[in-house]
Amino acid sequence: MWKSKVKINVNEQPIELDEQANIEQLLTFLDSPLKGSAIAVNQKIISRSEWANYKLQENDQVSLFQAIAGG
Amino acid sequence: MDNKIINKMNNDQLIIAGKAFSSRLFTGTGKFNDQATMVAALQASNSELVTMALKRIDMQSKEDDILAPLIKNGMNLLPNTSGARNAKEAVFAAQLAREALQTNWVKLEIHPDPKYLLPDPIETLKAAETLANLGFVVLPYVHADPVLCKHLESAGCAAVMPLGAPIGSNKGIKTAEFLEIIIEQANVPVIVDAGLGAPSHAALAMEMGADAVLVNTAMAVAGDPVAMSRAFAKAVEAGREAYLAGLGGQSQVAVASSPLTAFLEAG
Repeated sequence: MWKSKVKINVNEQPIELDEQANIEQLLTFLDSPLKGSAIAVNQKIISRSEWANYKLQENDQVSLFQAIAGG
Repeated sequence: MDNKIINKMNNDQLIIAGKAFSSRLFTGTGKFNDQATMVAALQASNSELVTMALKRIDMQSKEDDILAPLIKNGMNLLPNTSGARNAKEAVFAAQLAREALQTNWVKLEIHPDPKYLLPDPIETLKAAETLANLGFVVLPYVHADPVLCKHLESAGCAAVMPLGAPIGSNKGIKTAEFLEIIIEQANVPVIVDAGLGAPSHAALAMEMGADAVLVNTAMAVAGDPVAMSRAFAKAVEAGREAYLAGLGGQSQVAVASSPLTAFLEAG
């Protein structure tokens, strides 16, 4: 069945997802580890506990952060 | 060795925000050539608290998963706010780090000037107040400024992290006189951070009465990072033991260690 898509930006890169996709699905799609990641949508931090229910909308600006080495 | 000192060393725990540490050597994860060396060095250091950073990732290149080996080795993570140029950015970074690493501990660092990476005291104090109110365990990286350290303590910081010298400079303790005042006045642990380039620098900080030191560059860029980390661990222990033992006072003139008089009179 044909599924409608939403276009979002993740760290300035355009990405197309199935409509109703949530943040967990986005991270899986990006092959990004769930651990050590943090997400902000339109400059608002989305808590990990909300990832499974947070549906991404057309034109959402997603920022994806990850833990890296540092002093 | 005096049994009292052995007892003191055996029961010598550092407590920060209710968490006990046996090792007084904190470490960073930056600048190691590869992940295997980093993990081996951190293990050799016996460190129980390691810093890391957070980055807005580049979608074109994959980052290494640095987290898994650290968690596997039972290390506590201390995310920093490196990259933040003001209080607002630092608070945002701390909140992101809390989500990413599921810890409310944060090494607050705000250093807008890339040449010397010196911490901005005004923005740091502002961010510390906000973060402490939000329930963070705040460990601020600051200049060795005794007045600022007292303000940060009043703001609710769990420790203070005054610098010895600029980050990564390996110059050692250039702020000794002021660190001594900070240590004398502090009611929270004092962790000497930044600039410690050799085990002797770390030992000196501990002899002065610092509660802990944080070392990264000196280990990561050493010829043999694993051996250097082990050397730092020994130095921190030696310095701590010397502090607990009580250093002898200094004197401008010689004070004879051998009883010369009796020998001269015998002739």
